[in-house]
Amino acid sequence: MRGTVFTETLLGTVRLDGEPGERRVRLDLRAAADRVLLPHRTTPARLTGRVRIAGRADDPAAEGELEVSPVARRRIRYRLAFTADGRRLTLDGWKSVSPRRPLTSMTVLPFTLYDGHTRVGEGVLRFPLGTGLLPFLLGFRFPRREDPGAHGAPRWNGTPGRTEVWYTTLTDPETGTGVWLHHELTAPADGSEPFAHGWAAVFPRAGEVRHARFGPVPWTRPADGFTAEGVTSSGGRLEGRAGDFRWSLTERPEDPPLFTFPRWSWRHPLLPAAQMLPAARATYEGELSYDTTTLKISGAPGASARIYGHGNAQRWTWLHADLGDGAVLEIVAAVSTRPALRRLPPLVFLRLRRSGRTWPRRPERSATGLLGLGRFRADLGLPTWTVTGRTALRRVRVDVTQPPERTLTLEYRDPDGARAVCRNSESADARVVLERWWGRWRPEASWTLEGTAHAEAGER
Amino acid sequence: MTGDGLVAALLAADDTDTDAGAWPARVPHRLDSVLAALPRPASAGVRAAVAAVETYALARTGRRLAALHPDEREDVLRSLARRPRLAPLLDLLKVPVLLAAGTERTGVPPVPVPAPADPPLDCTPAEEWPARTTADAVVVGSGAGGAMAARTLARAGLSVVVIEEGRHHPTASFGRRVPLDRFTELYRDGGATVALGRPPVLLPTGRAVGGTTVVNSGTCYRTPDAVLARWRTTFGFELAERLGPLLDEAERTLNVAPQPLDVLGANGLLTLEGARRLGWSAAPLRRNAPGCKGSCQCVVGCPTGAKQSVQLSVLPDACAAGARIVTGARVHRILVDHDVPGPPRAAGVRAHRPDGGELEILSPLVVTAAGALQTPSLLRRSGLGGHPRLGRNLSVHPATSVAGRFAEPVTAWRGVLQSVGVEELRKDGILLEATASPPGMSSFVLPGLGRELRRELEESDRLATLGAMIADRPSGRVRGRDRTLVRYDLAPRDGDRLLTAVRAMGRLLFAAGATEVLTGVPKAPRAGSPEALDDLLARTGPRDLHVSAFHPTGTVAAGGDPQRAPADPEGRLRGVHGVLVADGSVLPGCPEVNPQLSIMAAALAVADAWLGGTGPGG
Repeated sequence: MRGTVFTETLLGTVRLDGEPGERRVRLDLRAAADRVLLPHRTTPARLTGRVRIAGRADDPAAEGELEVSPVARRRIRYRLAFTADGRRLTLDGWKSVSPRRPLTSMTVLPFTLYDGHTRVGEGVLRFPLGTGLLPFLLGFRFPRREDPGAHGAPRWNGTPGRTEVWYTTLTDPETGTGVWLHHELTAPADGSEPFAHGWAAVFPRAGEVRHARFGPVPWTRPADGFTAEGVTSSGGRLEGRAGDFRWSLTERPEDPPLFTFPRWSWRHPLLPAAQMLPAARATYEGELSYDTTTLKISGAPGASARIYGHGNAQRWTWLHADLGDGAVLEIVAAVSTRPALRRLPPLVFLRLRRSGRTWPRRPERSATGLLGLGRFRADLGLPTWTVTGRTALRRVRVDVTQPPERTLTLEYRDPDGARAVCRNSESADARVVLERWWGRWRPEASWTLEGTAHAEAGER
Repeated sequence: MTGDGLVAALLAADDTDTDAGAWPARVPHRLDSVLAALPRPASAGVRAAVAAVETYALARTGRRLAALHPDEREDVLRSLARRPRLAPLLDLLKVPVLLAAGTERTGVPPVPVPAPADPPLDCTPAEEWPARTTADAVVVGSGAGGAMAARTLARAGLSVVVIEEGRHHPTASFGRRVPLDRFTELYRDGGATVALGRPPVLLPTGRAVGGTTVVNSGTCYRTPDAVLARWRTTFGFELAERLGPLLDEAERTLNVAPQPLDVLGANGLLTLEGARRLGWSAAPLRRNAPGCKGSCQCVVGCPTGAKQSVQLSVLPDACAAGARIVTGARVHRILVDHDVPGPPRAAGVRAHRPDGGELEILSPLVVTAAGALQTPSLLRRSGLGGHPRLGRNLSVHPATSVAGRFAEPVTAWRGVLQSVGVEELRKDGILLEATASPPGMSSFVLPGLGRELRRELEESDRLATLGAMIADRPSGRVRGRDRTLVRYDLAPRDGDRLLTAVRAMGRLLFAAGATEVLTGVPKAPRAGSPEALDDLLARTGPRDLHVSAFHPTGTVAAGGDPQRAPADPEGRLRGVHGVLVADGSVLPGCPEVNPQLSIMAAALAVADAWLGGTGPGG
């Protein structure tokens, strides 16, 4: 199900009670609805944005509601709460859509200002057609609305030779310790009983990397998430013990799902494997202890991810980088194990989400380019590996460094029994440079992560 | 000026009257101001009739009326009067001229006592009301029904906004202007609302904060038990069962009491005397005017504040409970949300300001109390007029009046305007009420033209007037969306009742000592004895009478049968959620008495039922 997101700017005047003159008002609003905006229906939406009243208010964190019903109710109603001079004011107004005066009635918004239930002013806002129409129309997006919890259920359908992974990585903001909780279901290719296993690992800023395995134990086919002998990853709860590790964490999704591979490949498992994040960003609370150390985790950024497929790639790298301010970068670069495909250069799936927008817009763009041209490139290696790529007007370079002392080397085993070596660091470094072309390449944004990037490189 | 020549002719103005200071000279100006207040078709009709008379004079004499000698003008009028078919037309022309002449002849009446301060109202002119507001309930109309509904809802804790098309007229403003000026301002269409039919019926309704209660006579009858029983059993109007205590409440609110004799006035006393001699039951009316000073100006706004119109009694209570009144705003439509589960829901109202702007108030509850003539149009404009019976079932009280000439001055305009009720013929559906007119504003069309009319005018202080209203069959219909068009065809039974009423009034006036009775019938205006009156009425039909009508009800009747009643038994409009009908239109049939108390009690019951039954959330 898709939602609707658009931005709108309204300009006008307000006359505050007790003042002789009018003041200029400007509203820069972003509306987000949980369903596709259909003109003949009534669509409620959340409003956020900036309210400016000349000399009185400039609140960048205004919040409110929008009711869009131009045909059914002939009304587009705005209710917005904002702060002015330390007082919490409410703007309440609506456009009254009239077929006789479509332009005026769709662009003029009379409103009243309230302080609590007391009226403190009234005014009129107008949508600036000349300057605002094009950005308004081009700003419409219909993003999918998905419940992160809906992606926790096991995908495995009983087919032999499949592996399924629930893994969570996070960084404790207080100590800088990286945490990796890996839960895996393996259905061996020989048809023997599926089993569950996994491990927990910590990557302290100072000190050695520690990990402990749990399982294997028989797979009990839970309805949701991963459950195996006291270790669970389900419904926003992460609990378990492995060796001297104990953990009990709650997960709060902060972002919609992020499909690193094309969405179709997750829904229809045609590729050897696919990875996705039920929530591109999440925060964690709780406790994790190992040896004599106990981490009280609070507001830790991280993410959970899912993998389902035939097994591990021939070679691969992975990066999850929380860039701050809601931005997140997810990269998987992999070479298939299939005989013909293993000769190809790595397929790069790069997803950069900023301000609710994901770049490139389609995951296939970075992997295959346009008919093979302009695909993103990965230079795999250790301790540093690099991904570069460009679209028409934007290019990116990502350098990931996994210092050996902060890297854990583990052996993976595919359903068919093949082995692979994984080198994982939940406290890696990363440098991300984003540039935009406007006559020449100009810096757009850059991020440097020191010890907070989550990365992995694997090979046979 | 309109018709200075015609005015001079009708009033037989001679050379002495043309001085600037003489009252006949001022009449054309006054006539112009009266016509300016009338709806355009009415004033155009009067102007066309004036032009026709002038053309006739021109054709007959070669000069316009103004240029003629008084004798020549008299000659022209006499020639016109010889054509009986023209008599009703000339009578219609006489009405505005007589109103203007009466006002100018009487001059500005002195105010008996300084006007007391009105209880405070929270009124805001529409121009100052924000274009976008919200409320828990919007009440359309501030008359008897609207005020009572607003008070009930506000006292229950709802934020209530009352929207009134008219202006707020404080008591103090009444004493400063002559009655005729107030008349044209306080009534819709300048008081010239007409129901089309044979005969056409004048149907005046008030338009001000307080609605028609500002301009009614203050007579407060309780709904008769028989009527309540009929509403309940025949129509299924269940609320009728609960109206008894609510009528008590309405009476308490309005301080209803029998009118004391001290200020009754000669008109009322003569009526009592006439009834006593005939052995008829008659008594001073129960009125809502404690401390009435007998100003005889009820119908143009009581200048002493004695009459407890709802703007002095109910609306102040509503405002004290938090209700607010927007004045000068005409509700264009009720906003309805259709895309909701179940039936469509009321969402508020859109109203027009006098300056052409619009204002909208969102509210989940809309109470229509715009009166039985306006509510159907409002519902049609709002897309809620789909019920086949909406606008039909219009009941009014057809009324006519008779004047009696006495040897001694009566000066009917000193005393209570509507003072005495004669209930002898109540069982026949006829209610006689001694009803005078405000100073200078005789509603009775005096007979004659020219010198004869002038003589009648000069001697009008010797006239006592009686009015009769009858319980009718609901034979009217309100049409129209943007403009209300009323059609009313007097039922044959009701025509007979009117003639019976005229006969009864004549008998009573003769019994009281009248030397002559003026019937108001153009072709037979006078009767010198009861027998002569009987002869005269034997040759008269109801269409010859000057019929006015009051108290329109029943156009959005409540009842149990969904096929016949647009509103359900609790006054909720069918087919939509959140629209209550709380004015005269909700009454399922003719109340047979002055309906203020009935409407107030019904509105109270409807609002109570909403609060106590389904309630705001239901």
